[in-house]
Amino acid sequence: MIQISEKCVGCGKCTTACPFGALSLVNRKAVASAACTMCGACVSQCPVGALSLPTSSAVKKDLSSYKGVWVFVEVGQNGQTQQVRSVGYELLSKGRELANQVGEELCAVIIGSNIAAFYGEISQYGADKIYAVDAPAYAYYNTAAYANALITLIKKYNPSVVLFPSTYVGRDLSPRIAAELFVGLTADCTGLAIKEGHLIQTRPAFGGNIMADIKCPDYRPQMATVRPNVFKKVVSAPGKMAQVVKETIPVPAQAAKVRIVSTHMDPPVSGQKLDEAEVVIAGGRGMKNKAGFDLLENLARVLGGTVGASRAAIDLGLKKKEDQVGQSGVTVSAKLYVACGISGAVQHVVGMEHSDVIIGINKDANAPIFNVCKYGLVGDASQILPKILEQLKK
Amino acid sequence: MAKNDLTTRNLMLDSLKQYAKNRISFNLIREHDAKNEIPLDILKEMYDHNILGVHLLLIPEEYGGLGGQTTEIYRVCEQLARIDLGIATGVFATFLGSDPLNVGGTPEQKAKWFQKIAHENKLVAYGATEADAGSDLVSLRTRAEHVIKDGKVVGYKITGSKMWISNGGVADIYTVLALAPGGPSWFIVEKGTPGFTQDVHEDKHGIRLSNTAGLAFDEVYVPAENLIGLKEGQGFLQAQAVFGYTRLMVAAFGLGGGEEAVETALAYAQQRIQAGGPLAQKQGFMLKLITPHYIRFEAARAYIDWTAKQLEVNNHGLATEGAIAKLYATESGNKAAEDAIQAMGGFGYTKEFAVEKIKRDVKITCIYEGTSEVLEMTIFRGRWQEHLKSRGQYYLNQAAEFDTIHSQNPDVGADSVALGFRALARVLEDCRANKLTRHQYVTFMLGDLISEMEVAAVFTRECANKRVTEGSRFDIATLSTMARVNARQSAFKTASEGLRLILGTCPAINTAEVSQAVNLTSIEDKMRGLIDDMDNVSAKLREIFKK
Amino acid sequence: MNIIVCIKQVPDSTQVKVDPKTGTLIRAGVPSILNPYDHFALEKALEIKAKTGAKVTVLSMGPAQATAVLRLALALGADEGVLLSARAFAGSDTWATAYALAMAVKKIGQFDLVLCGQMAIDGDTAQTGPEMAYHLNIPQITFCESIDASGNTVVVKKLIEGGYQILQADLPVLITMTMPHDYVAKYPSFLAAHKAQDKVIRTWSDIDVGADPHKLGLEGSPTRVDRIFPPPARPKGEMFSGSAVELANKFVEILKKESVIK
Repeated sequence: MIQISEKCVGCGKCTTACPFGALSLVNRKAVASAACTMCGACVSQCPVGALSLPTSSAVKKDLSSYKGVWVFVEVGQNGQTQQVRSVGYELLSKGRELANQVGEELCAVIIGSNIAAFYGEISQYGADKIYAVDAPAYAYYNTAAYANALITLIKKYNPSVVLFPSTYVGRDLSPRIAAELFVGLTADCTGLAIKEGHLIQTRPAFGGNIMADIKCPDYRPQMATVRPNVFKKVVSAPGKMAQVVKETIPVPAQAAKVRIVSTHMDPPVSGQKLDEAEVVIAGGRGMKNKAGFDLLENLARVLGGTVGASRAAIDLGLKKKEDQVGQSGVTVSAKLYVACGISGAVQHVVGMEHSDVIIGINKDANAPIFNVCKYGLVGDASQILPKILEQLKK
Repeated sequence: MAKNDLTTRNLMLDSLKQYAKNRISFNLIREHDAKNEIPLDILKEMYDHNILGVHLLLIPEEYGGLGGQTTEIYRVCEQLARIDLGIATGVFATFLGSDPLNVGGTPEQKAKWFQKIAHENKLVAYGATEADAGSDLVSLRTRAEHVIKDGKVVGYKITGSKMWISNGGVADIYTVLALAPGGPSWFIVEKGTPGFTQDVHEDKHGIRLSNTAGLAFDEVYVPAENLIGLKEGQGFLQAQAVFGYTRLMVAAFGLGGGEEAVETALAYAQQRIQAGGPLAQKQGFMLKLITPHYIRFEAARAYIDWTAKQLEVNNHGLATEGAIAKLYATESGNKAAEDAIQAMGGFGYTKEFAVEKIKRDVKITCIYEGTSEVLEMTIFRGRWQEHLKSRGQYYLNQAAEFDTIHSQNPDVGADSVALGFRALARVLEDCRANKLTRHQYVTFMLGDLISEMEVAAVFTRECANKRVTEGSRFDIATLSTMARVNARQSAFKTASEGLRLILGTCPAINTAEVSQAVNLTSIEDKMRGLIDDMDNVSAKLREIFKK
Repeated sequence: MNIIVCIKQVPDSTQVKVDPKTGTLIRAGVPSILNPYDHFALEKALEIKAKTGAKVTVLSMGPAQATAVLRLALALGADEGVLLSARAFAGSDTWATAYALAMAVKKIGQFDLVLCGQMAIDGDTAQTGPEMAYHLNIPQITFCESIDASGNTVVVKKLIEGGYQILQADLPVLITMTMPHDYVAKYPSFLAAHKAQDKVIRTWSDIDVGADPHKLGLEGSPTRVDRIFPPPARPKGEMFSGSAVELANKFVEILKKESVIK
C-alpha cells in the first residue's frame, strides 16, 4: 500500500488523483484502502510530499553512462519488395526533438538484408548515426535473431532512450528485449517528452478512457513503442548523410526454432462492412429520396467509405435494414462520420457517437445531432453535397 | 457434489447473460412479440445440456440435475426476466410444472419423470387454473374417475378443461390438477394421450413470447402410476407447499423486469439533452421517475434474498413471506415500468425501445401465481393471526429489536422502522378493537402495509449487518442511504394510510387520540434530510448505470 | 502434451467510466470478466486438448476474487487451476508480472506450450507474454489467430502488417493469441459450471514459486506512473453556416485539417 507520512495536511488532492478510489480522508488525514495498487499516481499530486511508494533496496544503476536516443527503424517486407515503414521516420522526427533537448545523439538501428539503400532517407529525418546489421540471415524478421542483435548493440553502446514502432514486429521485439535487460517499456505512447532528464511517456490507460504519464526513473535505457500516425514526419536534415556503423552479429541458435512456412498478403480491399468502415457517410430523412442517397454513395466512393442510414431513412426505403446505424441497427466507430440530414435522435446517436470526427449537416441549427458533432454545418445536405463532390474532384 | 457456491452461481448467470446477448437480440424479441409467437428454438437451446441446461436447476442431483438452491433459482429468474418475461415464463412453467412431482412424487416417479425432463429436455406445463378456479383453486371442476380392472384401480379417466396454461400448446409433459374420488390430486399427462387436446394460443397483452393455451380433457386415460404420490387428495397440500417458493420466483420476475425498464430509461436519460443538460442530471426527473423505483428494487432484492435463504433452511413453507416478496416486488416492478415509459416520453411509447414491451409483460407478474389482491389477503391473514396470538405484541417486539439496531447503527433508518412497526401494531389493534376487518378493503390495505413494513425492516436489518445482497451493484454506504429513505417512506405510508383506514371506516373514533397513537408527527420528523439522501442515491445511479 | 494458459481477470472496460469532474476511474459496480484474448487462447488450448488429449492448466495472478476466472476456465474444460496471489506482487508492472508468472510456470513443471492472450484489455500492453517467454528461455510467437499442435511442433497463423504468416515452431514455445473480429466467446453450461466446483485450484504465493523478492512488486517494476489525467474532452463543436458553396468549401477544409484527405 502507498505510504502516507505525518506530513499529510488532509488537503484531499490525492483522493481525486487516485484512479482506483483507494484514498480517502479520515479525520483530516489521507488513508489508503486495500484497493490501492501502488500505481503511484498520487505521489506527484501531494503538495507536501507526504506520499511515497516503498523504496527499493536494490542498488541503483549509474544512469550517467547512458546517452543517446535510439529508434528501431523497421524494414517491412511486402511480397518481394522491402521498404522502411513510415512510422520509423515519424519516430526519428520525434527522436530528433528529444535528442536536441538533452543534447545527445539520435541514432537509427536498422536490421535486415540488403538495406544500404535506405540509409540516405533515414539520414534526412535527422539521424546522426545508423547502426546497421545487414546480413542474409536477417532477411526476414525472427524474434530471437532480432532481439539478440538489438540487445548486443544496446549493451555495447548504452543508449538512454530506445523507441520502437508499435507494429506487429515492434510489439513482439521490444518486450523480449525489455525483459532481458530488466528495463521498463511503455506500450503505444501517444506523447513523449523529457522532464528532469527522464523520458515522460504518455499513453491511454484503461481502454482509452484515461491518460497516464509513465517514467522509468531508475532504469536505462527507457523504452517505448509508438503507433503509426501519432507523430508527424519531419525532414530535418535534407541531403545530410548519417555516420553508418556496420555491425556483424551472429544469429543465436534459438532463432532456428521458429520457421516461416509461408507469407500471405491481403488483397487490396474493395467494399467495406459498415461496422469496420473508417469513413461512414450516413443519411437520414433529410436526404429525401434515392437521388439524395446517390450523393452519399458518391461521397463515400471518393473518401473510401461506406454509406449508413438512420432509421427514418430505412423506413422510407432509401436503404436496406442492414445499413441502419443506431439502437436497433449497427454501431460504428469510424474515423470520420458524416451525418447528412439526420436529426440526431438518441436511437441514432448511440450507434455512432464513438466515432473520432463527426460532421453534421442539417438545416435545423437546433437539431440534436449538433450536440455530438465536432463540426456542424447548418444547411441543406442535398444542396451542399454536390458542391463538395465538385470540390473534391479538383 | 457440493451445493453451488457464489462463484458457480455467478458463472451460471454470466453464461445466461452471454447466451442472451449472442442469441436473443431485441429484434428477435420484437418480432416474436409482434407475431405473438414463442421462440421455441431458443427455449430448446436453453434446455440443451451443452448450451445452458437451465431446467437442470430444478431437478434433484440424484436424477441428473443440479439440485439448485432457492437463491440461484431466483437469481436465474431475475436474469431471465431481464432478457424477456415471456421466455422467462416458458422456463418457469417447466419449473412450476415439475414442482408437484418434486413435492409429492414417489422416488420411482421422480426417477422416471425427472430423468425424462433432464435428459430429453422436455418442456413441462403446470395445469391448475380453470375458468372458475384461478388463484383460488377450491372450485376445481376437472375430474378424474377411477378405471377399475379386476377390482383394482388401474387408472383414471380425466375430463374437464384448463385455462391460461403457460407452455400449454408446446409442452411435452403436463402436471394436471383434477378432482379424484379421494380429493384433488395431481396427474402426469403426456402430450398425445388420446382425448387430450390443446387450444389455440391466447392473444395476450404481454409476455407474448410465452405460449399460453387452454387444455381440454375428454375422458383422457392415464395409468394409476401417473397419480403423483400414488395417493389421492394430496393435491392442494402439494400445490400450497411450494407457494412460498414459486411466488419468490415471480417476485424475482417483477424485480428483473422493473430493473431492466428503469435501467433502459436511465441510460436514455444520460444521453438525452433537455434544457442544456442531460435529463438524468435533473433532480425532478430522477426523484420522480427513477430513484424511488431503484430504492424499492434494492429493498425487494434484500427481502427476496433473505426469504430465499430462509427457504433453503426450512425447505418449504413461508407462504406469507413468499406472498410479501411477490406483492412488493411485482407491484414495484409494474409501477417502475410504467414510469420508465414516462421517463422516455415519446420514445418510451414506441416499440423502438424495450420499455413499452416490459410494461406490458411485467403486468402479468401482478396477476399470475396469485393476484396482488389474493396476496394481500394471504399476508393479512397470516399476520393477523400473529397479532391476535401475541395479544398485539407481534410488531411491538419487532419495534424493540429495531430500537436496538438503531442504537448501534444510526444510519440505516432503523428508528423509522421501529416507528412504522409501532404504528402498524396500533393500526392492527384499532382494527381488532373496532372490528374494522369486516371491510374487505381494510384487509387488502393491511396486507399491503404489512408487506411495506416487513420489507423495509429486512432491508434495514441487512444494511445494519453490513450485508450487500448478492446481485446488488451498490456499496453498503449507498444501500444504507437507500434503506434510510425506504424506511422513512414505508413508516409514513403505514401511519398515514392506517389513519385513513381507521378514520374512514370508524367515524366514531377520536381523531386526535388515534393520530397521536400512530405517532405520525415523529415519523414526519424523520423526513429531515430525505431529499438530500435521495439526491445522493440519484448521483450513485447515474454513476453506475452510465452508458 | 501439457499446455499452460495464462489468464487474467479484468474490469469490463466497456463499463469503466471516468468521473468528468475529478478524472478518476469509476469502478463502482463494474463487473469483472475474463480478459477476452485469454478467453480465446483458452478455447484454442481446449481444442488442442480435444484433439490430442493434452492436459490444460490455467494460471492467473491476482487477488482471491480472480478465482472466478479460473473457475470459468475449469468449467469450460481446463483440468487444473493455479492462482498466484500474495501481497508481494502488489505494484507489479509487466516486467515483474511476467517474472512471477514464469516462476509459477516453472513450478508447474511439465509444459510444452504456454498460451496467453495477446494483451489484457485493462492495460493493452501486449508485453507480458513475450516477457514471460524470455524468463522461460523459450521462443515466442505473438499475435496468432489460429494454432494447431501435434507431435513436437506447433503451426500457427500469425498476423503481420497487411497480411499473415504461417509459422512452425518446435516445442516448447509461448504463443500469444489474438481473436478474429467475429469471435464470440463460449460460456459453460450450468452443469459444467456446477462440476467445475470439484476441480482443483491451487493457490501459490511468491515463496511457493521461489521468486526472488527483488524482482517482484514495485522493486521488480521499472516503470512508475507519474500522473493520471482525463483525455482532453471533445471540444465543443464548431458551427458553420453560409451558402451551399461556402459550406462545401468548409467541409473540404475540415477533411484536410483532420487528415482525411491531403
